[in-house]
Amino acid sequence: MDTTTPVFSVEGLWKVFGPKADRIPGDPELTSLDQAELRSRTGCTAAVRDVTFDVRKGEVFVVMGLSGSGKSTLVRCLTRLIEPTAGTIAIDGEDVRAMDRSRLRELRRHRAAMVFQHFGLLPHRTVLDNVAYGLEIQGMGKAERRERAAEVVAKVGLEGMEHRRPGQLSGGQRQRVGLARALAVDPEVLLFDEPFSALDPLIRREMQEEVIRLHREEGRTMVFITHDLQEALKLGDRITLMRDGRVVQLGTPEEIVGSPADDYVREFVRDVPREQVMTVRTAMRSPAADQNGSGPAVAPDATVSEAIEAVARAGAPARVVDKGRCVGVVDSDTLLGVVAGTEQPAPPGTEQPREAV
Amino acid sequence: MRLSKTAVIAAASSLALLTGCGAADMTKQASPFANAQGARTVTLSVQSWVGAQSNVAVAQYLLEHELGYRVDTVQVDEVPAWDALSQGRVDALLEDWGHPEQEQRYVKDKKTIARGGGLGVTGHIGWYVPTYLAKKHPDITDWKNLNKYADLFRTPESGSKGQLMDGSPSYVTNDKALVKNLKLDYQVVFAGSEAAQITQIRQFAKEKKPFLTYWYSPQWLFKKVPMTEVKLPPYKEGCDADPEKVTCAYPHTPLQKYLNADFAKKGGKAAAFLKKFKWTTEDQNEVSLMIADKKMTPEEAAKKWVERHKSTWKKWLS
Amino acid sequence: MATITANPSRVGLPGLLKNRAVQKLLLLAVAAAVLVPLASARFASGSWPGALTVDFSEPLAKASDWIIDNRDSHPLFLYFFGHVSNVVVIAVRAVYLTLLAIGWAGVTALGALAAWRVAGVKLALGTAVAFLACGVLGMWVPTMQTLALMVVAVLASVVVGLLLGLAAGLSDRMDRVLRPVLDTMQVLPAFAYLLPVVLVFGIGVPAAVLATVIYAAPPMARLTSLGLRGADKEVLEAVQSLGSTARQRLLTARIPLARKELLLGVNQTIMMALSMAVIAAVIGAGGLGDRVYQALASVDVGAALAAGIPIVLLAVVLDRVTGAAGERLGAEPEPRSGLGWLYALIGVVAVAAAGRLAGRLDWPESWIVNIAEPVNRAVDWMTAHLYSGVPVIGGTADWAGHFTTWVLDPMRDGLQALPWWSVLLIVAALAWVIGTWRTALTAVLAMAAIGVLGVWKPSLDTLSQVLAAVAVTLVVGFAVGIAAARSDRLERALRPVLDVFQTMPQFVYLIPVVALFGVGRAPAVAAAIVYALPAVVRITAQGLRQVDQAALESSSSLGATSWQQLRQVQLPLARPALLLAVNQGLVLVLAVVVIGGLVGGGALGYDVVFGLAQGDLATGLVAGGAIVCLGLMLDRVTQPTERRAKKGA
Repeated sequence: MDTTTPVFSVEGLWKVFGPKADRIPGDPELTSLDQAELRSRTGCTAAVRDVTFDVRKGEVFVVMGLSGSGKSTLVRCLTRLIEPTAGTIAIDGEDVRAMDRSRLRELRRHRAAMVFQHFGLLPHRTVLDNVAYGLEIQGMGKAERRERAAEVVAKVGLEGMEHRRPGQLSGGQRQRVGLARALAVDPEVLLFDEPFSALDPLIRREMQEEVIRLHREEGRTMVFITHDLQEALKLGDRITLMRDGRVVQLGTPEEIVGSPADDYVREFVRDVPREQVMTVRTAMRSPAADQNGSGPAVAPDATVSEAIEAVARAGAPARVVDKGRCVGVVDSDTLLGVVAGTEQPAPPGTEQPREAV
Repeated sequence: MRLSKTAVIAAASSLALLTGCGAADMTKQASPFANAQGARTVTLSVQSWVGAQSNVAVAQYLLEHELGYRVDTVQVDEVPAWDALSQGRVDALLEDWGHPEQEQRYVKDKKTIARGGGLGVTGHIGWYVPTYLAKKHPDITDWKNLNKYADLFRTPESGSKGQLMDGSPSYVTNDKALVKNLKLDYQVVFAGSEAAQITQIRQFAKEKKPFLTYWYSPQWLFKKVPMTEVKLPPYKEGCDADPEKVTCAYPHTPLQKYLNADFAKKGGKAAAFLKKFKWTTEDQNEVSLMIADKKMTPEEAAKKWVERHKSTWKKWLS
Repeated sequence: MATITANPSRVGLPGLLKNRAVQKLLLLAVAAAVLVPLASARFASGSWPGALTVDFSEPLAKASDWIIDNRDSHPLFLYFFGHVSNVVVIAVRAVYLTLLAIGWAGVTALGALAAWRVAGVKLALGTAVAFLACGVLGMWVPTMQTLALMVVAVLASVVVGLLLGLAAGLSDRMDRVLRPVLDTMQVLPAFAYLLPVVLVFGIGVPAAVLATVIYAAPPMARLTSLGLRGADKEVLEAVQSLGSTARQRLLTARIPLARKELLLGVNQTIMMALSMAVIAAVIGAGGLGDRVYQALASVDVGAALAAGIPIVLLAVVLDRVTGAAGERLGAEPEPRSGLGWLYALIGVVAVAAAGRLAGRLDWPESWIVNIAEPVNRAVDWMTAHLYSGVPVIGGTADWAGHFTTWVLDPMRDGLQALPWWSVLLIVAALAWVIGTWRTALTAVLAMAAIGVLGVWKPSLDTLSQVLAAVAVTLVVGFAVGIAAARSDRLERALRPVLDVFQTMPQFVYLIPVVALFGVGRAPAVAAAIVYALPAVVRITAQGLRQVDQAALESSSSLGATSWQQLRQVQLPLARPALLLAVNQGLVLVLAVVVIGGLVGGGALGYDVVFGLAQGDLATGLVAGGAIVCLGLMLDRVTQPTERRAKKGA
């Protein structure tokens, strides 16, 4: 997977709001200031500061941060709904910032579609026409786009509601319409801007499952913005954590939880049930010769909590078996160390994709 | 800004398209309500006083029932009526109290209005007190004694001075100048409309209160509230030339009719009829009284008068 | 997210000085201490100094003469105004002839079926009854004339308003230019608009239609712009994120999203057009307004009412139908609504054809009921018994006398005796304390403009009448409004009364008022009170009712009596609504006090009437300008700034 070009490649991206915003990214004296100082000195607010990352094909890339961290601005910069101040953005290697208006429209119409926090539905249109809206914009004929829209409506589980208006739907149903609208144009990337934060917890979980299902079925690349750590850990293949416009840490959920880059991240992930995020691979120690063959076997990708269950059942340390070979051993001590957070397995802050290990 | 400019251009060009690109003289447009359903229509201007309504009511009745026209009436004050007449928005003005400036402009210079002859009624404006008051104080009818009685005419509106009540702002009046130049201890209070003035006069009369008012004849109200004129310094030709310095009474004016020049030429029977329309002060008062006092509709009143005075109006139709 | 929220830094001043109002007043006092001696040394105190006035009447009179002389020859008139006028005449005529051709039955069917489609069966019946009532009152033809004029004027207003609103809604620069103009136009009395159009077009239907358009287009423009700007930002973003072009965005999202405001705009435009179409009778609009105006000339309250009732009916029906259309938006779309319209159309055609075949296009004369007589008898009885000599309380004439002597005279004399600079200072202080320095500046400039126009004294006379009328209106209006807010039954009973009084043309009030109060300023004030009262009552009651229920519950849980609740919770919380009531009261009162020139109110209103009646447009325009300034000043003085409230300062 590493060999393909990243879907999105962002480098040194800045977005500064305020008067004469252009001068700020290039001025080292100003870039070193924090938000409050910057504002009092220049009247500007830097919502995104020097952000760099790649989004790989087929992954769910989560941008996570509290409100005001610049994550929503960041996702809007990707399709230039908000014009970036400095830096480069490339989609499949093509420079987004250099696109002219029609090329940009092309990008928005076919390559990246977005799902919004408050749905952004047109209240005067039926569900079907809302879903077909993106196709209508592209100039597709009425019969054809309605047919396509009907398929997508079925895919997100809204059959029978095609002729209702958004006002007659529940929040979860509305977001399904928003999702269907984005899916209808068959985009290369789906961008989600905190899509579920306006929903009730139960509905939210249901919608998260829906996204996981869609991702499993279609393998579409997704960029997912959220302020909810649980959601980020649940959905993300990789997570980038933002604070005050900067990336604080970028890594797999396991890395974020297991090796927080700094105190901010550590504080952030403190209450996360580590055993559900950490995998056996990080917890295991080298196998001793005598243990070959006995004890339950677990996969390296299994979570610590699964290993705990296996160890508890067998009353003995478990073997970590990868492709028929025993690569390590976990016993109750190592597992407890993970749960308690006393174990510090990997050096923090480095990018260590799972696949690479 | 660019938007508004293009909008203006677009509006102007579409207007030009609609109306056929040529010049459009708005002074030659008739009322949009005229000549509906193929009927020949005459538009008469009605002034706000009842005498003028009587003229129009009778003319309208005869035009409709004897000559088969459809008649529209528009209430316009005198001076604007001249303008409307010149533009052809009304065809005829049946009672004019003398507007030399307008006559000069429209009849002599622009020739858009033609004289329609006399109405047969002589108008006179003056200051009046109720007759019951004049009987009580016979010397009140001379302007020189007015200051002596100023206290009698005091009202909340006029404050410490006596009240001289004036009517509609559309009427010809020199009263403010007269009060000043004759050094009278009076305040001119404008009733604002004839309706308001009449209502007030009747309220005063019912309680036999003293009042001094600008009034004019012919007027039906004299029959309901007898009034006596207060003598002002006599009118001489030209004494009212400068409205600021006037110190004399109002003249006696033979009331005139005026027609739109085109209508006068091409108006056929209707124009001929309106030119011949001529009656007396008594005739007019008879109709006025029916309208204003008996609260008959102008049409009913006109019908009554027409039934009673066949010989008079037959002459107008010949 | 990344919005910029700047908080104005506060200067820490001790105690009383922290109060913003006191700060402002102090600043103003300092400015006054410097400026006033200078001004009084240069010019005399007392009334507005003659050196500071500019005589506009001569150039205006010249302009007016020039227009009359060149109206049939100058290219500007031939190639521009002439065409405008032509189009108006042709359009009004086309509509009028169509209405006559459909006949009374067809028009009634058209109105009822259209109401049925947009608003349901109940309103359809109401519409039919209203149209038939117009016929029964003998007002069919005038009603059609007014309707024809209205149709053209409303369409034009909607188009003009829509264009202006689009410009203001899409361009910030246009918005900055247009908004203050539109805001101001909304508070000006209709009467002030008549003269300029008459100057250009002369008396007649074109002038009436254009005055109506000028008066009725601003609400459409304001609401269009408001709707476009108020659209859900995220929806627009979503639409943009799908790659729409600017045009697609406008047509498929922005305009549909603003449809509620657009319909409200149409509704307001219709109501304003109707009220203007009546007032425009003074400049030859014809139709119902003209009948009212003619009836006034012969003190015929009955006839005035016969023409006034159709106006009220039209207004109520149009208001309810367009209002219902607005409420229906967003609801479940009725299936096969196209078919319903088709049925309706077939129905209209059938009825119209039947009417034509039966030869019954005109309203049958025998079906006319004359209501003028009984009404006049009632009015006569009223004036005969109430005018004076009523034991103990005295007659209405005595009240009017006392009101004039004890209220109006001292107020007028007091205002006129004030040195001119102190009037400006008072205006500045009031406007600044209630609003911002901007509103204060506008108010002061407007007041100074009155002085420059050379109508200082009559304007203060008008102002004194307005203030007296507003005082009475507010006392009565607040009392009734509070009562209505506390009793559902009273509110239900009041509603139709308020509707009628709000839509009845102002003219209709004038004559009975003269009969009761005599000629002078008192009847003008009385008419103004009657006219402004409904709006004040309504806004007060609504404001009180909308007070947060939680606040009320919490206060009653603390054991507050209902009087305490009213005084300590409802009234303070409803303060914005009450201020709005004051503002609306002032605007409406001014509109009628000005028309009061027709019943002896004198001052500015008389000058306008005089200008119209004598064709002396110079006098009229100067007075009209002063009315505009007065309206502007009164509005700004009572305009609390929303901006400040929103910032939470």
